[in-house]
Amino acid sequence: MLMLPELLIIATAFAVLLVDLFIAERQRGHLVLLALAGVLAALVALVTITPDTGALFGGRFTMDPLAWWLKLTLLAAAAVTLTLAQPMLATHKQAPTLGAGSEFMTLLLFNLAGMLMLPSTRDLVFFYVALELATIPLFLLTAWRRESLSSEAGLKYVLMGALSSALMLYGLGILYGVGRTMNLDLIGRNLFPSPPVIMAIAMVFAGLGFKLTLVPFHMWAPEVYQGAPTPVTAWLSVASKAAGLSALMLLTYRVFPRLLPQWGLYLALLATVTMTAGNLAAITQTNIKRFMAFSAISQAGYLIMGFLGAGPNGPASMVFYLMVYAVTNLAVFAVIALHHQQTGREDITSYRGLSQTNPILALTMMVGLFGLAGIPPLSGFVGKFFLFSVASKAGYNWLVGIAAVNSTISLYYYLRIIRQMYIEAPDPELPKLTTPRLLGTALAVTTLASVTLGLVPWVFESVRFSAAVWLEAMPK
Amino acid sequence: MGLASWLILIPFLTALAVLAVPTRRSDLIRWVALVGTAAHLALTSYTTWAFWQEASPDLVAVRTETVSRVYLVERVPWFESLGIDYLVGVDGVSMSMVILTSIIIFTGVLASWNVVHRTKEFFTLLLVLVTGVFGVFLSFDLFLFFMFYEVAVLPMYLLIGVWGTGRKEYSAMKLTLMLMVGSALILVGFLAMYHANGSTTFDLTKLAQAHFETGLQRWVFPLIFIGFGILGAMYPFHTWSPDGHASAPTAVSMLHAGVLMKLGGYGALRIGVYLLPEGAQYWGLFFMAVTTINIVYGSLGAITQKDLKYFTAYSSVSHCGFVLFGVATLNLMGLKGAVLQMFSHGVMTGLFFALIGMVYGRTHTRIIPEMGGLGKVMPWLAACFYIGGMASLGLPGLAGFIAESHIFLGGFFGNSWTNPILSRTLTVLATLSIVVTAVYVLRGLATVFQGPVRDPHHAELTDATLTERLSTGILVATLVVTGMVPGLLIDLIEGTLFPIVNRLQATGMAIPGHS
Repeated sequence: MLMLPELLIIATAFAVLLVDLFIAERQRGHLVLLALAGVLAALVALVTITPDTGALFGGRFTMDPLAWWLKLTLLAAAAVTLTLAQPMLATHKQAPTLGAGSEFMTLLLFNLAGMLMLPSTRDLVFFYVALELATIPLFLLTAWRRESLSSEAGLKYVLMGALSSALMLYGLGILYGVGRTMNLDLIGRNLFPSPPVIMAIAMVFAGLGFKLTLVPFHMWAPEVYQGAPTPVTAWLSVASKAAGLSALMLLTYRVFPRLLPQWGLYLALLATVTMTAGNLAAITQTNIKRFMAFSAISQAGYLIMGFLGAGPNGPASMVFYLMVYAVTNLAVFAVIALHHQQTGREDITSYRGLSQTNPILALTMMVGLFGLAGIPPLSGFVGKFFLFSVASKAGYNWLVGIAAVNSTISLYYYLRIIRQMYIEAPDPELPKLTTPRLLGTALAVTTLASVTLGLVPWVFESVRFSAAVWLEAMPK
Repeated sequence: MGLASWLILIPFLTALAVLAVPTRRSDLIRWVALVGTAAHLALTSYTTWAFWQEASPDLVAVRTETVSRVYLVERVPWFESLGIDYLVGVDGVSMSMVILTSIIIFTGVLASWNVVHRTKEFFTLLLVLVTGVFGVFLSFDLFLFFMFYEVAVLPMYLLIGVWGTGRKEYSAMKLTLMLMVGSALILVGFLAMYHANGSTTFDLTKLAQAHFETGLQRWVFPLIFIGFGILGAMYPFHTWSPDGHASAPTAVSMLHAGVLMKLGGYGALRIGVYLLPEGAQYWGLFFMAVTTINIVYGSLGAITQKDLKYFTAYSSVSHCGFVLFGVATLNLMGLKGAVLQMFSHGVMTGLFFALIGMVYGRTHTRIIPEMGGLGKVMPWLAACFYIGGMASLGLPGLAGFIAESHIFLGGFFGNSWTNPILSRTLTVLATLSIVVTAVYVLRGLATVFQGPVRDPHHAELTDATLTERLSTGILVATLVVTGMVPGLLIDLIEGTLFPIVNRLQATGMAIPGHS
């Protein structure tokens, strides 16, 4: 029961691949419904059947309350991603399409399974395998379209990914050498500040910084975001970040908890550099996907502010912000995917006058962008406020100041898109967009979530409660 | 749900109602907006009465208290583990600001009767903005306060960007970004206070009972004061205001200069001075000096302007300087003057921008030298302009006089902990701006409305329509009533200001080295 969501996802992945062999070409579009059903079944299983604590395989796979929230976010994000991909998988007439739809979905589901396992791992080898499963399918998905931009992105991603994996593995090797065990909890007890340990931490941070797009490990993100098919970009921006965060939380709170206070200043500096560089680079972008890449980089800077200081508010704020970021970003990407698919354009100026041709889409996009900028009363603001509060409590008031000014900078570039949508006159050449029903539903749900998650107190309160329980159960 | 919540909710519900009307029924959209704001005005009147029923028996008791009392309180726990509540209520200062806002939005809707371009979006945004303004004035939880504060600022971007004139995109972006930098400073200050008090509450009345250590007060106070000061057009952060006001459409200029800039003074007083009395004492004289520059610079800037809107915008910078100057005096007279000035300047500047919009709608120019003799053509608008102008230069009998005289007296009295020569010199310098104000107001009015009709096309123009008369009439009447019977407003706000002053006095005595 403990592993039911993961098993369901893997089963669905094989089912999609198998069913594909036996159905006619024109029916393949319906396979996305099968994949979606599998993801939703896993979601239901997670919510109803799976207990939020428990261990399997001698404690190597352990369920904890915070992992539950991470898995919930990932499953929901996967469901939305499938609906985003659906118009591109279903028809072969409209351009641009994704070929080999069933393989695409299979890889996506395997990727999802890896990410789902990641927060539950308690063993170095299992941890590394889950992390690679959460990474390698993304390389293939990025290069899916096999045209020059997509392939270039894929290649760049593979090279950078391999480098980061190597660093990560080296770091984990050192940890094993010093900790003399594979068990993450036990390693934590055996670690004391010493040169090899510091080197290991630096390497692990570099490897995970790659996944979280922390500056200076972010170089792959702009090309990959731009080159990958839009649904993959959406998935990448949310899931890769979720995986990176869950891995980083696993290591920092389980393996290095005693070393964390000494690293506070470096983390704060890393956050500063990440959010500032991401924001400044985003200002001049003209391609919306590349733009979203820099926006995502700066968001990672805010996210890691939660590692500062002790107590349950830190992890709770990070997981809460991740949830908020996921729904908000997916809502924005839903509009981007729709727009790209029907107009074939990705430049920011192609959003001209969207508020007049498609008022509802423009409104959801505006809500999404304001959410990312952290404007109240949207959840993006509430999430950021909690993260800032954590940093302020730990005494990093200067960081809060920098982060808040960075939010203003980010508002500038988000407003550039809003200006195109609301102030400029529509481009007569661009068609009025039609919203497929499935995607429309996903868009409505994510937008609604991005408005209400922060207004309804119980979501954050439950996450915080889970974080408190999770922290309590941590080996001392 | 209580009165305070309804005061916030009505504009929001009106915005939703406007959204529900079909786009091409622009007449219906206007009526919905008008009915909504009229209902709000009625509810505000009733709330004032209800507030007064509860507050008036306490007027003697509060004279010696150090925590100001809040009435009509509604508290719903929100994020309980972080001590964040939905906490709304009313006190004297916020009541007076709610009355002001309610009048301005009602007259603003009347003054935008001729908005034809994307009418529905215009009124929706206007009403969302005003929801935020009411939220700020009525919330007593810092988290909630901050939330509403940004809701009040952001719609301005689209309102100016879509419906504005001139360099509207530039002005809109400049305004939004500068105000957001201000709110970033405020956020740092709020969080620092929250954690210094043990991270248990954002409740303003509870935070007021905490004692913040002197070091914290000294670094947080300037953040809060400057953060709010940016919105209150404090020199040298005022540059968004002339551009913003000049580019904005009529109702937006009215709301922005009339109400939104008051959020700055309100926040500086209600949060800065109230929660951080020692910080206020430390920085009081400095900010008095800065705002003196504001006052003088604004009035000198207004002299040189040729565009009526820039002219009024610079005069607003000067008058908002009076508000912050009054707050920085840190005594009862000055604080009272600051609140009175917020009210009177709000009404006055709302009237100005409404009138400018109406004149511009007829002449299609705002350049002062291109106009002349309009008084003969549009006597109603001219008369209203004159009354507003007189209030602006502080003619006794109108609202401006009573406010400015309080502020100057406050500045002249000074405080036990400041050097009287310094504060008096600054006050005298600030007072001199009255002369400058008289020069530019009289000269400007004379050019526009007196003499022969300069442009032959202008001779055929018409005077104010019924809606315009109603809108300007209400504002003029408010100016006159406040000027003639200032006691009404003073009684309302005094009860809230006593505790703030008492706190300052109490800590003022405690500072060693100050006599």
